[in-house]
Amino acid sequence: MLSRIGESLYWMTRNLERADDTARILDINVVYMLESDEGATEEMQWQPLLNIVGADELYRQRHPDGSVTVQRVISLLTQDKANPGSLYNSLRLARENARVVRDRISHEMWEAINEFWLQVDKHLKTQLQPWRAAEFYAYVHREVALFFGLAQSTMMRGEAYGFTVLGSLQERADMTARILDVRYHLLLTDVKLVGSPLDYYQWGALLKSLSGFEAYRRKYHSGIRPIDVVEFVVLDPDFPRSLTYCVEGIDRALERIGTPATGAVRDAMSALRGHLTGTTSRDILDTGLHQYLDHFLLLLADLAVALQADYFEAHLSDAVGETAQ
Amino acid sequence: MLRQVQTTQARPTLAYHEFYRDDFQPRDHYKPMWEHIQHTGQHLLGAKAREAHLALHTEGVTFTVYSNQDEGIERVWPFDILPRIIAADEWRALEAGLKQRIRALNLFLKDLYHGQRCLKDGVVPPELIYRGKDFRREIMDIDPPHDIYTHISGVDLIRDEEGRYLVLEDNLRTPSGVSYMIENRIVERRILPEFFARYRVRRVEHYPALLLQALRHLSPRGADEATIVLLTPGIYNSAYFEHTFLAKEMGIELAEGRDLVCKNDKVYLKTTHGLHQVDVIYRRVDDDFLDPLVFRRDSVLGIAGVINAWRAGNVALVNAPGSGIADDKAVYAYVPDIIRYYLGEAPILPNVTTYQMTDHQDRAYVLDNLQSMVVKAVAESGGYGMLMGPSSTPAQRAEFAKKIQDNPRNYIAQPVIQLSRHVCYLDGELESRHLDLRPFIIYGQDIEVVPGGLTRVALTKGSLVVNSSQGGGSKDTWVLAD
Repeated sequence: MLSRIGESLYWMTRNLERADDTARILDINVVYMLESDEGATEEMQWQPLLNIVGADELYRQRHPDGSVTVQRVISLLTQDKANPGSLYNSLRLARENARVVRDRISHEMWEAINEFWLQVDKHLKTQLQPWRAAEFYAYVHREVALFFGLAQSTMMRGEAYGFTVLGSLQERADMTARILDVRYHLLLTDVKLVGSPLDYYQWGALLKSLSGFEAYRRKYHSGIRPIDVVEFVVLDPDFPRSLTYCVEGIDRALERIGTPATGAVRDAMSALRGHLTGTTSRDILDTGLHQYLDHFLLLLADLAVALQADYFEAHLSDAVGETAQ
Repeated sequence: MLRQVQTTQARPTLAYHEFYRDDFQPRDHYKPMWEHIQHTGQHLLGAKAREAHLALHTEGVTFTVYSNQDEGIERVWPFDILPRIIAADEWRALEAGLKQRIRALNLFLKDLYHGQRCLKDGVVPPELIYRGKDFRREIMDIDPPHDIYTHISGVDLIRDEEGRYLVLEDNLRTPSGVSYMIENRIVERRILPEFFARYRVRRVEHYPALLLQALRHLSPRGADEATIVLLTPGIYNSAYFEHTFLAKEMGIELAEGRDLVCKNDKVYLKTTHGLHQVDVIYRRVDDDFLDPLVFRRDSVLGIAGVINAWRAGNVALVNAPGSGIADDKAVYAYVPDIIRYYLGEAPILPNVTTYQMTDHQDRAYVLDNLQSMVVKAVAESGGYGMLMGPSSTPAQRAEFAKKIQDNPRNYIAQPVIQLSRHVCYLDGELESRHLDLRPFIIYGQDIEVVPGGLTRVALTKGSLVVNSSQGGGSKDTWVLAD
């Protein structure tokens, strides 16, 4: 497969996953905003989102007065064209990459993403109001699910499929780690809230941002405990957004693509696996969750660099025809 | 050479109507369709037209219009639901004429880039060739596989006021539109199955299969081993939709210049598993941008070294570089002579009268009559760089008069021909609009013409410009079986 095509397939699903994840964290916040929590200001509710997606600095530039409001955060993360990570831009890039690989994905997949983009582009011409936002994000989830569903049911399980899985799982692992990091950090710094109803809702928001609330409740019967949440979100191999699940999925995707026996990808993968295996949630909390997740994100970034070297720029190290004639 | 100066009064001024006879009854081959519309009621067409637009929109059948801004605008392909129908005997004559023309033009190109017998024998003035922008000295004496230069041609045909088919342009470089021909058919079949039931329409969807066969035929390592790629300028090109369409239909790689690299006079694809040798390149990139080592140095769309690989016989290029000189609008005027010279036959399809601006007498006549002329830049296409006399302003005419005098070799002029008209369903009404026809010809082991083509319609009332970049639309084109 052409390196450029592999790269576009990867970025197509990576951006689509990002659009979906962004919609999910916004959606949960919009829903929680409906009922007022004691002592929780608008700023307290919305600031974490800016930290999760790393848009804090951009927000300060855009709004020098520093006040964090629902409408501003929704606009910045959903439709701001100058924010490279906005839902709008993620989707635009996903569709642009899909256009590049149009001959590689199924006709149904192309139609789904094209129609999705046209609708969103039209819809976001006007400002998205907070009370209409939930409906919009639900639409985004449905369309993304449709696309991934079509990918699963119409794509050959070959190299191209491998790159699409790779893109979405890499983004998902990244987002999961950051959601856990930011939310957890906030929850534990405010000691007086531990055990309060607000605490319950905040932990709920964390799990719901990862679509894992119901699964968690079924698995753990003793309420929401930080140590269980960490085990579930980091180590549970069956929870489809956990770090372990994502890394194992990436491993299988790489098998489909075919990994060089030696090389950057192989090294990056063994480092990632090493980071997740042989550890418990207790160990993780003892060494510090923030450090642990930070290290994970670095290893994940190393994998992205390795993909570049081994696949997207594979020709640079290829020796065909190098011998002088 | 003196061109015959024709008076315009001799010709009828009303355009030929494809659909109606002079007594406003539908022509015979349109009667079944007409009866069906009358029977079901015209209002049904409105719903069908909306359905067609929606289908094209969702499928992303688009083209890009270039504007003054940097990025082009992506538009949905404009499609009129009423098909254009060509009777079987009419098509037979067209097919024969097109094959004859393509055969002669390929012999002409071979001659131009080898012995230049035609220049020595005075068939075509040498200065016309040497001063032509698309004559490529760099490829002299290169032998393309099987002596084929124009593997794919899209010849534009129009009908004059008497209904005669004339060749307006031979598009021999990278003609586009074939994907729209197929998409039009797919949509038409979905939207109006009941029309098809009343006719025996010949198929067009095997075009990609024919093309693939022709491309395989060219592989230096043999057809079975062939790795074929379609070279595209990228997603901002106006025909990108077509590039993806054809690559997908043929199951070949869609590559950009940056995906390919030359080493030791061979061309390779950069893949996720290293380099992979390429045998045939169906390039949709103009000569100018094809190889920065040979043509334009600033090109980032091409492949450095590809011409040397071609010269060494390690890769086939489709269409061959240098083919553009044969569809130069000034050379066009000589095509009937070229046919007589190489084939010893009378041309089956006539040309439109063409005035050479390098000829004093022709030029004086044209400058005096700009208002009734179409002036075209010889190496442009897509309706860019032309003057439509009857709808031009005095300022535009003055501008073109100056351009012609400054650089006569760069322009030709033709009398305005009232292109034939056809009924279209526009905003709930049946209206007549001008149109042309672009059939596609593939030169592989044989020369084949796919029975159909792209019918382009000037959607603006009275307009004679059919290019999609200039507000044109299209129709499905039906060639009937006997």
